[in-house]
Amino acid sequence: MKMLRFSFVLFLAIFTHSTVRAETTDWFAGMREGKPELKSISQLAFGPAGILFVADTKAAAIIALDTSDTKSTSDTKPIKIEGINQKVAGLLGTSADQILINDLVVNPISRNAYLAISRGRGPDAVPVLARVKASSELEVVSLDKIRFSRGDLPDAPVDGVVGEGNRQSNPRQESITDIAFLEDRVLIAGLSSEEFASTLRAIPFPFKKVEHGTSVEIYHGAHGRFETRAPIRTFVPFNVGNQPSLLAAYTCTPLVQFPISELKPGAKIKGKTIAELGNRNRPLDMIVYQKDGKDYILMANSSRGIMKIDTDKIEKAESITEHVQGGGTRGQPYETIASWAGVDQLDKLDSQHALVIRHGDGLLLNLESLPLP
Amino acid sequence: MVGAVCLTFSEFGFRASLLLVASWLASSFPANSVEPSSVSIRWHTNSNQPAVEVVGLNEETLRHLLNTNWQSEEWQKLLSVYAGQGDSMTMNVPAMIGSYRIQNDAIRFEPKFPWQRGLTYRAVYRAAGLSARIDKASGQIISKFSLPAAPYNPTTIVSQIYPSGDVLPENLLKFYVHFSAPMQGGHIYEHIHLRDEAGHSVELPFLELEEELWNAEMTRLTLFIDPGRIKRGVKPLEEVGPALEEGKRYTLEIDAAWLDNMGMPLRESFRKAFRVSAQDRDPPSLQTWKISAPKAGTRDALTVAFPEPMDQALALRLIRVASPSGRLVQGTSALAAHEQVWSFRPQEFWTVGAHQLQVQNTIEDLAGNNIGKVFEVDLFDNVQRRFTNAVIKLSFEVR
Repeated sequence: MKMLRFSFVLFLAIFTHSTVRAETTDWFAGMREGKPELKSISQLAFGPAGILFVADTKAAAIIALDTSDTKSTSDTKPIKIEGINQKVAGLLGTSADQILINDLVVNPISRNAYLAISRGRGPDAVPVLARVKASSELEVVSLDKIRFSRGDLPDAPVDGVVGEGNRQSNPRQESITDIAFLEDRVLIAGLSSEEFASTLRAIPFPFKKVEHGTSVEIYHGAHGRFETRAPIRTFVPFNVGNQPSLLAAYTCTPLVQFPISELKPGAKIKGKTIAELGNRNRPLDMIVYQKDGKDYILMANSSRGIMKIDTDKIEKAESITEHVQGGGTRGQPYETIASWAGVDQLDKLDSQHALVIRHGDGLLLNLESLPLP
Repeated sequence: MVGAVCLTFSEFGFRASLLLVASWLASSFPANSVEPSSVSIRWHTNSNQPAVEVVGLNEETLRHLLNTNWQSEEWQKLLSVYAGQGDSMTMNVPAMIGSYRIQNDAIRFEPKFPWQRGLTYRAVYRAAGLSARIDKASGQIISKFSLPAAPYNPTTIVSQIYPSGDVLPENLLKFYVHFSAPMQGGHIYEHIHLRDEAGHSVELPFLELEEELWNAEMTRLTLFIDPGRIKRGVKPLEEVGPALEEGKRYTLEIDAAWLDNMGMPLRESFRKAFRVSAQDRDPPSLQTWKISAPKAGTRDALTVAFPEPMDQALALRLIRVASPSGRLVQGTSALAAHEQVWSFRPQEFWTVGAHQLQVQNTIEDLAGNNIGKVFEVDLFDNVQRRFTNAVIKLSFEVR
């Protein structure tokens, strides 16, 4: 187990009122059958009941799709598709170099994997949703007739403006870097292409329309002595004990600790740094899994391979309030899984396996299941 | 309709013989059907409506197919079209998705996406996919079609990189790269190089995000210098040094291998050479801006001179002019003198009176400092002093 200085992985624990939610939420409220006109497809996240959230950056919207993929399974068959980009290219009548696989998520109910694909790499690229079933069968998911609802993101918020956004006459362009479903909200991390400004917003789900668009809440990663404007690269819901929380990997923050507060509009999310990653680290994807009764974080990053991070004692972890000088280390212990090199996408497949997309020969990308380390 | 009954065979082999004779007759003397060998594959290469057709089928076959309720999977067993390029031709690549139907006495497949240049398409018709009753003599037919790659004609170039000046602060925050035509994204950092004076590449100077920061037309790319690589005040950097160092010279190169949206490389590489000056930790202040007011009754430009270059995109978006009545004045803004001068030409003639320059305080200088706020990724400030968005107003008279 190596201890290393990390500076990027920031643990945001959001303690919400753990109200016992009666299972009466109609997650499909507001959905209608039709053809969601996607302009782009970047990030995916599963919600309850097989609902798949799709981030459409170009349309500045989150689309909720009823995949009707709710048949549960206890299958643990390995999955492998070599040259998945080549095969997707074949289905879509193009060459492998014209396919971009933007995200991979697994439906926890059915164990089917979904891929966010871009056919083409220019401004006229076509968004495509594909699915890999337990039999390693690859298919395109038709969106011609599907139940869906749409949450339009109001214009990128400006500091100090809390609540619903107004349609500005000169809005700034934002890219969505990651989304996740937490309890009853879709969390959206965004990054502007002009101002150096990153946002973390949440829209309630089922989507609520308010006078100026979708109701939105804005969170600031700030409290105490510290506020970060660093972009969030990837985040994942995580339970610390019984408390639902959020684990977020930023691009650049020194070691700090944030006290914890509730998730409400304008709330300052208090976080605790659990690891400080060096400057060469670029987190891509993160999952949380259990092994031998303990929680671990598995993080894929483009320069350090796969890291398995201990979450032991996060609750009690010492707050790190200043840079560790002279090469000393503090933070959660971690180890690098050398055999998992070249991973681009990562998600949990089942309790024993992860599903990854990683580089093969030449331009080829391979989809395969690997036992969780 | 073939229905010859031969009475010359004994009853023992009657039925078998009947079948034998019937099929022989069907293959040799088709009544109103075509010769089996006339089944062929036809390509519709008009990019507006790509299609592949199997023509020359007999009436019975067509009638049978019209009555099926096949899904794509079953159609694919009969007719599949594959897209390939080089090595992938031999790989186990699935058939293209699209729609199937019987139209104009043909099996017609329309792929979901248009034909692509530089690919070879292979259509395979397998008559074994038909039931025994009908025309199987055609066996398997394979046909290939390629759309040749477009002739080599690179025309796109980098038209400008902002900031356009050649002296940049050590804590420069970003570059905007403008292209003369839409580009392709994905793996872009392979084509972007920051080199020092000796020609060595600076390692990972930019924030490399999967979500690349393009405008909608993909003619402008935003590159953020990794804030972790920017010297922050007096705090030292760990591990990897700063991307830019005061006093040194660098070249930002965009290499020509980057493909545009037509699949062509750039006509030439683009190099921006620059020298690095001291860190800029001075937030912009409107007090230092010099306004040259235009004359009333003209459509002369209003100009504002900044003491330092400002962020090109934000200066064009976040500065407006209001008339004495408070209404925004419509017009066109532009930047000059390496983004150190902002000018505004109104649509209508200037009226007399006190006008206002309205500037959102989120405007940035080259180091990302906002009006009244020094750039910091992480602020070690008292949280009570929160930065709030505001529009700063500066009055000027038009006479």
